[in-house]
Amino acid sequence: MNAGVVRTLAGKLGELALTLFLASVVIFSAVLLTPGDPVAALAGGIRPTPELIEAIRAQHHLDDPVWQQYLHWVGGVLTGDLGTSFVYKTDVAALIAPRIGVTVLLVVYTAVLIAIFGIGSGVLAATRGPKADRAVLIGTSIGMAMPTFVVAILLIWVFARVLGWFPVYGAGDGFADMAYHLTLPAISLAVLYIAFFSRITRGAVVGQLHSEHVDTARVRGIPRSQVFRRHVFLNASPQILAVSGVTVAGLFATSAIAEQAFGIGGLGSLLTEAAARKDLPVVQVISLLLVVVFVVLNAVADIAIAVIDPDSAKPRRNA
Amino acid sequence: MSGISDVVLELDGVSIATSADTSGRTLVHDCTLQVHAGEAVGLVGESGSGKTLSTRAVAGLLPDGFAVGGTIRIDGEDLSLLPAARLRDVRARRLGMVFQTPRAHLNPFRTIGDFMTEALVSVAGERADAAASRAMDLLDEVGVPDPSRRMRQRPGDLSGGLLQRVMIAATLAMDPRILLADEITTALDVTTQEEVMAVIADLRRHRDLAMLFITHDLPLAGAVCDRVVVMNQGRTVETLPAARMREQARDPYTVRLLSASLPGDVERRTGAPAEPILRVDGLRKTFRVRAAKGFGHDEFVAVDGVGFDLAPGGSLGIVGESGSGKSTTARIICGLETADAGSITVKGEDWTRPARGSRGRRRRARIAQMVFQDPYQSLDPRQTVRECLTEAVALHRPKAPRPEVTARVDELLANVALDTTLADRHPRALSGGQRQRVTIARSLAADPEILVLDEAVSALDVTTQVEVLTLLDGIRRSTGVALLMISHDLDTVRRLCDEVVVMRSGVVVEQGPIADVLDRPAAEYTRMLLDSIPREGWVPRRRRPARTGALPSVATTTTAIPRGGTR
Amino acid sequence: MSVAQLAGGRVAAVVRRAATRDPLVIAAVVVVVGVAVMAVFGSALAPYDPNAIYVGPVSAAPSLAHPFGTDDLGRDILSRVLAGTAPSVLGPVIVVLVSSLAGAALGITAAWFGGAVDGIASRLIELIFAIPGLVLAVLAVAMFGKGLLAPTLALAIAYIPIVARLIRAGARQELGRPYMAALRIQGVGSAAICFRHLVPALLPALFAQTTIGFGYAMLDLAAISFLGLGAQPPASDWGVMIAGGQPALIAGAPEQSMFPALFVVLTVLAVNVLGARVTTWAEGGER
Repeated sequence: MNAGVVRTLAGKLGELALTLFLASVVIFSAVLLTPGDPVAALAGGIRPTPELIEAIRAQHHLDDPVWQQYLHWVGGVLTGDLGTSFVYKTDVAALIAPRIGVTVLLVVYTAVLIAIFGIGSGVLAATRGPKADRAVLIGTSIGMAMPTFVVAILLIWVFARVLGWFPVYGAGDGFADMAYHLTLPAISLAVLYIAFFSRITRGAVVGQLHSEHVDTARVRGIPRSQVFRRHVFLNASPQILAVSGVTVAGLFATSAIAEQAFGIGGLGSLLTEAAARKDLPVVQVISLLLVVVFVVLNAVADIAIAVIDPDSAKPRRNA
Repeated sequence: MSGISDVVLELDGVSIATSADTSGRTLVHDCTLQVHAGEAVGLVGESGSGKTLSTRAVAGLLPDGFAVGGTIRIDGEDLSLLPAARLRDVRARRLGMVFQTPRAHLNPFRTIGDFMTEALVSVAGERADAAASRAMDLLDEVGVPDPSRRMRQRPGDLSGGLLQRVMIAATLAMDPRILLADEITTALDVTTQEEVMAVIADLRRHRDLAMLFITHDLPLAGAVCDRVVVMNQGRTVETLPAARMREQARDPYTVRLLSASLPGDVERRTGAPAEPILRVDGLRKTFRVRAAKGFGHDEFVAVDGVGFDLAPGGSLGIVGESGSGKSTTARIICGLETADAGSITVKGEDWTRPARGSRGRRRRARIAQMVFQDPYQSLDPRQTVRECLTEAVALHRPKAPRPEVTARVDELLANVALDTTLADRHPRALSGGQRQRVTIARSLAADPEILVLDEAVSALDVTTQVEVLTLLDGIRRSTGVALLMISHDLDTVRRLCDEVVVMRSGVVVEQGPIADVLDRPAAEYTRMLLDSIPREGWVPRRRRPARTGALPSVATTTTAIPRGGTR
Repeated sequence: MSVAQLAGGRVAAVVRRAATRDPLVIAAVVVVVGVAVMAVFGSALAPYDPNAIYVGPVSAAPSLAHPFGTDDLGRDILSRVLAGTAPSVLGPVIVVLVSSLAGAALGITAAWFGGAVDGIASRLIELIFAIPGLVLAVLAVAMFGKGLLAPTLALAIAYIPIVARLIRAGARQELGRPYMAALRIQGVGSAAICFRHLVPALLPALFAQTTIGFGYAMLDLAAISFLGLGAQPPASDWGVMIAGGQPALIAGAPEQSMFPALFVVLTVLAVNVLGARVTTWAEGGER
């Protein structure tokens, strides 16, 4: 990688940092934009006593100018002090910590499913002839109309009432048990994205299959499997990678739905509950967390793409 | 002609059609030719002649849905009788194919080294290190300097001319019997073209390599090949010995092609020098671009101290290769770019800065108009011809009643010899030549006094070029509009212009009346340009045996190259 | 030709052509039209009052009296599904209209002016894109309380970047074409170039994106209602119904969740089919 590529990547990372900063400002201002008194907003659905009002004012430095309030908040988050929830009457950090593991496991499980079945079926559709293509097309058409909550209730119906193969409630204990419990939720989350990835993969692979450089490689006599690996799939991967970052980041948010349907105590269900109870401190922190995840995953995807295709990161040469 | 009766490639009554259930069109009716060992055969035709399709059928590169009839034989073996594995093997080992845009045929994500060694390792079974050193030898043979560095680079790092040489080197790796060259120099500058053709001539000599050279450029084929096969609308029309093409041509199409490539006899204007309608003086334009290496910015000087005069009703050609700054100059004159220094005076007015606001632009539009290179993108695809011209006319005659506007539109159509039945069609239903006529008509709607033509005929077939150039000349005579023709093609300029300016790397190298400059060039660069044009008896020479090409060969003015840098 | 005429004429022609050739598209159009009818006339067509409880046995299976069965409060599911069409469909319509208009305006502005304006617009787009739609919706609920309005507007904002990016890219490409330069040299005014040439060029892609976006918006809003943050019971929004029917599902009566789910899936499926067809038409273009 030459200086140009490094410099462009550094620029992109700078942009992402800026986006992160701006997003944090937006999330922070949620308190200010809420109609009514900021104290009431922070207190959530409960009606605060005078002592509580004092405590809230002090903790959130509500007498300081706005930008200082922001700095306190961000500084706190960076040092691990995630604030207090007045609705749950405990530290936000304490609320979040036990739930992160479950959500991460769920997201990773789902991502693996998406990778295997989404990319796999896309490749199948692109390379195994028109019958396979048609079959996958029908499958993905239906899949793209099946949101998480619909798949969830279908799975619950089948596995709770008809078959008894998987548990439909709770997250379980210990790794293996959790994996067992999270299978149905992961499937329910994955279906839509599997369809989406399948389409993207198919499109990218088909695009490469018909490209001239692949034709040239074939005519030169290079064996099929090698042509596929080194020319078709390699060149299709940036498109797939580009979508992956956004998707996995989005999974952290959408997991809320699966957690709700299957009664799992993860970050998502906390987010939902807190929002229902208008508990801004909790919602703000989790939102910020999700944005950080999004930004980081996008950066990782961008770097991966740049490794494969340095030209994408080259300085743009145009007046 | 070679005395060996060893026929390397034979096409016998080859026909190519799209499969019956779609539209069932026959694109090639009858292609018949032979290439003997060590012989170079040119396959010449315009677009739609079927030359590329026939070649792709030989190489097995036809898209899905095409049916091939007739017989193709390589070294006497009928391709249709071979089992698939053997067919693949025969093609991989006996044929080498090189294309017009090498960049499209190379994987942009993998290095040149990978490309060169791939076939050697997986098809010929060589070991990786042996393959790598052989690849470097091949790169050396085709004149690519510093091969070890190039092997580590990706296609994006190399210029078009270099990539073309890499492709040729790669095809040589398998020691083919015949090289299929499909318009390999069409996208290159004429000087780079000469380099590449010289390399090929050397290779053919050393390796006794046969060649099927596909091109639309009849003089080029005549100069570098032993025999020439002419195709028209899917049929092979005539086969001629290259050295005696002109005398022995019988078919009317061949005769037309031959006359189209002759510089025409255009009546030269020599009149009393009048006050110039356009005066350019000391024009300078720099583009700031991010440095290719390291940090900071590079300055790319596109136009440096350019000056010339255009007489009213005169015609001036600006000639140069890519990167010469000719297009940028034209764009500055028309207000699409702003000059950094210098002046542009039109009819006594200062046009150095682009017009302010649409009123200003409209006013200038009545004096100067521009016709662009790409006929396919020069028109709004959503408008019919009539709508497009009506918009242009109504813009400059806002108060004119409907009938007057319609009459003017019809008049414009007649001026460019376009049938009024075409007026209600969309651009996609028109041919390249017809679209270009519409753009000319549109630019004439404002009754301009200057018409700037930026490579306006370069994208057209040779015979269509002649038609459009004749049309332009006629318009000039009847309306007195001055023409400013930007072109890389000296023959085009010779056909149309009284005076010429030769540019290179942003600087004017030579200028003057056309007969003087082209017949008695003073500058060495002009002489080199003239020498690089294929004509009878032309022999391509490798001017810089160890260099890749000092001339920047990137295509557009908006692509940047560090000043003085080479690739 | 005005933009509206152009758009209307094109759409009609496309629909006509597509319908005569493709049964799948016809089916999709039928579904979409059916849903539209349900949205407008749903309450009137419902055989029972959607909110009236105990009009039939509790959690009953489908029967002649209650073709979709009854829910755990004895309400007729068919009536509730019919009545629930309007809120389930109106939200996505608002999301898609607002985001398309705002996104297109933003994209065209960025592409037209370039430079610093483009920089700011792109920054804004990146910023909104960085916050997942669901998160924005949840934030909105935490700020303004439960209900459909806040999440709908939040989603509308969240969908802007997708449209804006698409339009910005398309506009940049179109503006780079020689005929645009020719129009400028001609002296055609900026407004005329924008509305007579640029916008018609972008309409097919915009239309395709709008259609696809509708499907996604419907899924997202239904999910928010499912989470209990959007429409609230006793409203018969489909997402709410699906959530509310979960206990009944586990107890053995799936109708309460399944029928509204079926309608969600069918509607989105039909819209996707149409969207795909519109996209191929848009990409086919007029070149």
